[in-house]
Amino acid sequence: MTALPLVGFVALSSALFAVGLFGILTRRNFILVLIAIEIAMNAAILNFVYFGAFSNGTAGLTGQAVAVVLIGFAATEVAVGLAIVLALNRVKGTINVAQANELKL
Amino acid sequence: MRRLEWGGWVSVAFSGAAMVVGVLIGVGEMVNPGTYTDVRYTWLHLAPAPGPFPNGFSLVVGTLVDPISALMLIVVTVVGFLVMLYSIGYMHQDRGLPRYYAELSLFLTAMSGLVLADNLLEFFVFWELVGVCSYFLIGFYYEKPSAASAAKEAFIVTRVGDIMFLLGIFLYFYNFALAGPAGSGGWAANGFLFVNGNQPYLLGHGLGGNSTLLTVAGIMILGGAAGKSAQFPLHVWLPDAMEGPTTVSALIHAATMVAAGVYLLAVASLFLGFTSTDQLAIVGIGGFTAFFAATMAVVHPDIKRVIAYSTISQLGYMVMAVGAGFAMVGLFHLFTHAFFKALLFLAAGSVIHAVGTQDLFKMGGLRKTMRLTAIAFAVGGLALAGIPPFAGFWSKDDILSAVYSQLGSHPAYWPFFLLAFAAVFLTAYYIFRAWFLAFSGDHPRDPSLGHAHEGPWTMQVPLVLLSALACGAGLLIFVPGFQSLLLSGAGATGIPPVYGTTDLLISAASVALGVSGIALAWVLWGNGRVYALPETSAAQPVRRLLLKRYYFKIGYDWIGAKGVYTIARAADFFDRFVIDGTVHGFERAFALVSNRLRRIQSGVVSDYAAYVVAGLIALFVILLIVAPYVVSRLGGG
Repeated sequence: MTALPLVGFVALSSALFAVGLFGILTRRNFILVLIAIEIAMNAAILNFVYFGAFSNGTAGLTGQAVAVVLIGFAATEVAVGLAIVLALNRVKGTINVAQANELKL
Repeated sequence: MRRLEWGGWVSVAFSGAAMVVGVLIGVGEMVNPGTYTDVRYTWLHLAPAPGPFPNGFSLVVGTLVDPISALMLIVVTVVGFLVMLYSIGYMHQDRGLPRYYAELSLFLTAMSGLVLADNLLEFFVFWELVGVCSYFLIGFYYEKPSAASAAKEAFIVTRVGDIMFLLGIFLYFYNFALAGPAGSGGWAANGFLFVNGNQPYLLGHGLGGNSTLLTVAGIMILGGAAGKSAQFPLHVWLPDAMEGPTTVSALIHAATMVAAGVYLLAVASLFLGFTSTDQLAIVGIGGFTAFFAATMAVVHPDIKRVIAYSTISQLGYMVMAVGAGFAMVGLFHLFTHAFFKALLFLAAGSVIHAVGTQDLFKMGGLRKTMRLTAIAFAVGGLALAGIPPFAGFWSKDDILSAVYSQLGSHPAYWPFFLLAFAAVFLTAYYIFRAWFLAFSGDHPRDPSLGHAHEGPWTMQVPLVLLSALACGAGLLIFVPGFQSLLLSGAGATGIPPVYGTTDLLISAASVALGVSGIALAWVLWGNGRVYALPETSAAQPVRRLLLKRYYFKIGYDWIGAKGVYTIARAADFFDRFVIDGTVHGFERAFALVSNRLRRIQSGVVSDYAAYVVAGLIALFVILLIVAPYVVSRLGGG
């Protein structure tokens, strides 16, 4: 696996993060926003895996271990996110994020 | 007698005790002329530190009895006691007696403190205290708008002088902090004392160094004295100060407080020193004021104001004498003047008490009903006019002779000497004009004036005693002890002796002028009738000019109303629009910007996410593009 340069992997995760970010900013459906957040988050998790693998053993398995923990975090975060979606739907009768606009004076 | 008036007797008793002590001190000084007794206590000492006072700085409270303070102390306590006694009769119908006696007693305390102060700072403290007492007592009838405004005027005008005095003190402090006898540590470290043993502390110790500065300091001291002693151009307050009770006019605005300016000049000339420029300025102010004030007294219809102008004029003589280098001659005139001027005021007070008006043209014929007062006023007038052997002759003559003796070496004194000499004639004329208007004739010109009568014994006794002093105080010059007191006042300062300068020619001329002034007054007013000056007379503009006091008061009011008010308006404008404008401008700018910025708070979560991303991108741009570019341009690593 030494043939592929690290920069390619970083480019991949950057692209993935950009896709997620684009989704976060442009989607109006809260579920789609959550999915975009997941994509962006997985781009970050991927970084841990590459850098762990490219550390020539100096980092041990730390990168991979953190990735696994973060996958767990992502799952809990989705649970919280979906709970917010349900609560929003209950209050506003919609899951359009543009309707969640009461965070102002 | 009401219970309140017993309080007055307390003041009388204590001022009587003060008189006994004061006269004893004076006699002691006459027996042992030239002794300097200095009792002092260091109240505060600041440790040496870099700066203008490298040897430290002491504040001292002390009393110094020297020839000039002994002389002044006699004046203050004797006149103070007599006026206090006179007040019992004069003020008995007034309200506010506790206030009156408290303020008068405070004044006597402050004045004694001023006379006895042994250092310049203590002197200034008491100087301000007598000023505030003067303010209180001029405004004694504070319900009267004219009295309230006269009090304010006196306070503000003397304040101009006080500020100059303070600046003069600063100049002396700053420049002569280290001066003084060798090994003493300097003037500042020892508490700014006037004398060291029998020697002046400063005079002759490094004062020749910076004569420009010494000149400025001397002019500042002159300014302070001019404010307190109502010398030109700060003379305007004294005639208006006559709004106070006549007793106050007699004690404070004739005999003692206004003389404090002369006393200051004498102290400064004996212990601090003046340059010859200062001396010319002092002689000029004094000689000019002597004449200038006398002209205004010539036409005034108010008995008290005539005497007030006379006070300004006589103070001018004293200032001139001190300026010409004869401090003790000036103080001798101060001494005699205090008695005959207090006598004139108390006699005028007796008249006012009896007839209830101060307008000379309404009085007349009072010599028939008020014999004692008429005689007392005449004695005071003769003393003022300089007719021998009354007190004023000896001292005024001494001044004229002393200044005359300096004319050879100081030709610049000539015009002021001539003005002061001419004022002798005016003085005799205006005071006897007042006498004839008030006392001669058959009956009061205003028939509504009630039947006049003499006051109670408390008013008559001071008149008699002061008449005796006005007759005899000048003759004290022949008493060896008094003579040596005056001679020793000059100490080792090289001030010429007080007596022996008298020039017979000058004496004869001044007596002739005085007699002719009295004669003119008799010719014009002797029959007690009043002639109206025709409206078309060429003298009318002059008369109006004099009655309007040369428009000085109007001018100062104009300066106050227009000049100062305009400056105040400009300052107000600056405050309102520039300072407040800046503050409010910032406020408005922030309000405007934040009102615009408020709109981005849409409340939509994805908008906030977009801002976060925009911030992130901006951060990247700065860190990865702008910062490296800047660093490379600066040539850094």
